[in-house]
Amino acid sequence: MNIHEYQAKHILKSYGIKIPAGKIAYTPLEARKAAIEVSSKGPWVLKAQIQSGGRNQGHFIEKSAGKGTGIRQTSSRREISRLAEEMLGATLVTPQTGKKGKTVTRIYVEAFHKVNRIFYTGLAIDRKNSCITLLLAKLGDKSIREIVAQDPDNILRLHIEPNQKLSSKQISEAASFLEFPPRHLAKLKKYLQGLCKAFVETDALMLEVNPSGIDRHGDIVAIDTKLEIDDKALYRQPKMVPLFDASEVEERELRASKYGFQYESFGGSIGCIVNGDGIALAAMDLIRARGGDTACFLNVKGGVDRDKIASGIKLIMTNPRVEGILINVLGGFLRCNLVADGIIAAASEVGLNVPLVVRFEGTNKDEAKQILEVSHLPVIIAEDMEDSVEKLLAAMEEND
Amino acid sequence: MSVFVNQNTQVLIQGITGTQASFHGKRSLDYGTKVVGGVTPGKGGTEHLGLPVFNTVKEAVAATKANASVMFVPARQVVSAVREGAEAELELMVCIADNVPIKDMLEVKAILKGTKTKLIGPNTPGIITPGEARLGIFPENIHKQGRVGIVSRSSTLTYEAVIETNRAGLGQSTVIGLGDDMIIGMDFVDAIQAFNEDDATDVIVMIGQMGGLFEEDAAAYYRKLKQKKKIIGFVAGNTIPVGHHMGYVGEVMANGNISVQDKISAMRDAGIIVVDNINDIHKELAKVIS
Repeated sequence: MNIHEYQAKHILKSYGIKIPAGKIAYTPLEARKAAIEVSSKGPWVLKAQIQSGGRNQGHFIEKSAGKGTGIRQTSSRREISRLAEEMLGATLVTPQTGKKGKTVTRIYVEAFHKVNRIFYTGLAIDRKNSCITLLLAKLGDKSIREIVAQDPDNILRLHIEPNQKLSSKQISEAASFLEFPPRHLAKLKKYLQGLCKAFVETDALMLEVNPSGIDRHGDIVAIDTKLEIDDKALYRQPKMVPLFDASEVEERELRASKYGFQYESFGGSIGCIVNGDGIALAAMDLIRARGGDTACFLNVKGGVDRDKIASGIKLIMTNPRVEGILINVLGGFLRCNLVADGIIAAASEVGLNVPLVVRFEGTNKDEAKQILEVSHLPVIIAEDMEDSVEKLLAAMEEND
Repeated sequence: MSVFVNQNTQVLIQGITGTQASFHGKRSLDYGTKVVGGVTPGKGGTEHLGLPVFNTVKEAVAATKANASVMFVPARQVVSAVREGAEAELELMVCIADNVPIKDMLEVKAILKGTKTKLIGPNTPGIITPGEARLGIFPENIHKQGRVGIVSRSSTLTYEAVIETNRAGLGQSTVIGLGDDMIIGMDFVDAIQAFNEDDATDVIVMIGQMGGLFEEDAAAYYRKLKQKKKIIGFVAGNTIPVGHHMGYVGEVMANGNISVQDKISAMRDAGIIVVDNINDIHKELAKVIS
């Protein structure tokens, strides 16, 4: 689960990390009030709160939002409500949002905090070493993306064992790598330990401060922050649960997750129903290779509830983008006959107006095929994944 | 021979009295797996599925000489279940649970470090040596005895790979689902090493997918092997746009190598035969075998 920048910053603050003074605003009036509260004379930074990076390289779809990016700076108090008005409700497209962009529902108003030097700080799960890794890089001439691409050796990686802190040796290594003034070493230590503690205690998967800045007091300030929490640990993170922003997630995705399923949408015209991540990926790859494009997939995982499966299938059948449906089920935990029942229940409720090809394998596949045969639904049965994709594309072409 | 499990593997079921454990435990018994007992704290001394139930793994191992376990415990109990198994010196543990928090998996890996216990999973269908032992939730009816070793991160694509070997008129020596979580116990390198040394395996099928560097690690390992069996590989996820929903950490961690194409190139460079379509595996198998 991702959370917004302002929420992440306030979590960091509770770990003793310095952040620029800031306040969240949902209306232009609130933005104006917030500005006065956080700084008497500015300058101010207005930051569109969407859960995607690259806001400063982004643009808004609506003309009314003006030509600026998702991060705007001003020294004029009078400009604040106008800037907020432009951005609120508008759709921001960044390199990380996809073409559709995301609607800005709130703006974080910050006092501009001047820093003299900046560096990159990231914390991530290190799959290879089964530990947490702290990533540091000096910024200035290059962005972190450019450093990764051109100069990857200039990234310091420090491994942190679970339930351990950074050692003093690691702190000194970080200090010398960042060419940090020795007299401020204690500040760096407090900052990095604070980030690590926040990462561990919030069950984070990713915590990025890009950039961290050093101000004239030698204090380190988190200028921009992203925090992703492990969904699987939300049961023990009660403070995080209310931070979930449903507007960041598609309606169908939300409904699917209520049934315990996964739903993802893409730009194409084929709706896939599968029972695993891997098969979803493989099916989409094959659709692309044969000249088609996926609109969405529903992963019913090891679903055992007939009604939920039917409700999930309805999400695909009623998606207006979907011009053909591909069902690939390899029953293990999941029994194929439940999916067959689900297809019939969903079709009888919402109608089946597009070609549907189904391929069953594994647990109860013969029973499932028989259920569909006697239903007299216009369902095409396929033998393997390749066959299912080819049959669907052919049927869709005929339908055109 | 086969890898990791065979007809002599003595299996415990952790969490044996649960619904899924009962269902799959019975299927594994019917398959001929040597399941020797189960563990459910508080139910020690009772019987379930005709097997003795113990309060702890330690007691169960002392009484049954079990050397492996399959865990049907809920995600929240995985850390303690693994700790028990490792302390009792089980050789192999299979963790079926989905939804194990990543931080717990870091702890699990720390517990296992320096022990002789190997873990498969979490979020895995398990491991099966056809005709001998089934530890997990595999649909056993699709498996046939044979000489192809299969290892896969994805559960569903494991089945797909099994079906491909059947189509080629072959069967499987052992099939391992690694699980597709961020942090897993056994990885491709462990599995390839075992299959490469196994007398009953002629060729290996390896199914990867987007995310992590497991395939890159496997490629680097395979490249250095002196005597090696052929590997036929497939990596799912080529269609998913490379990128990130938030931030750059993933890219930094992987040194920018985050696309499926990067994985496929690494595998091909190491001499692994990589197919673009999973349904082409049977064709490549036929070529390799002839």
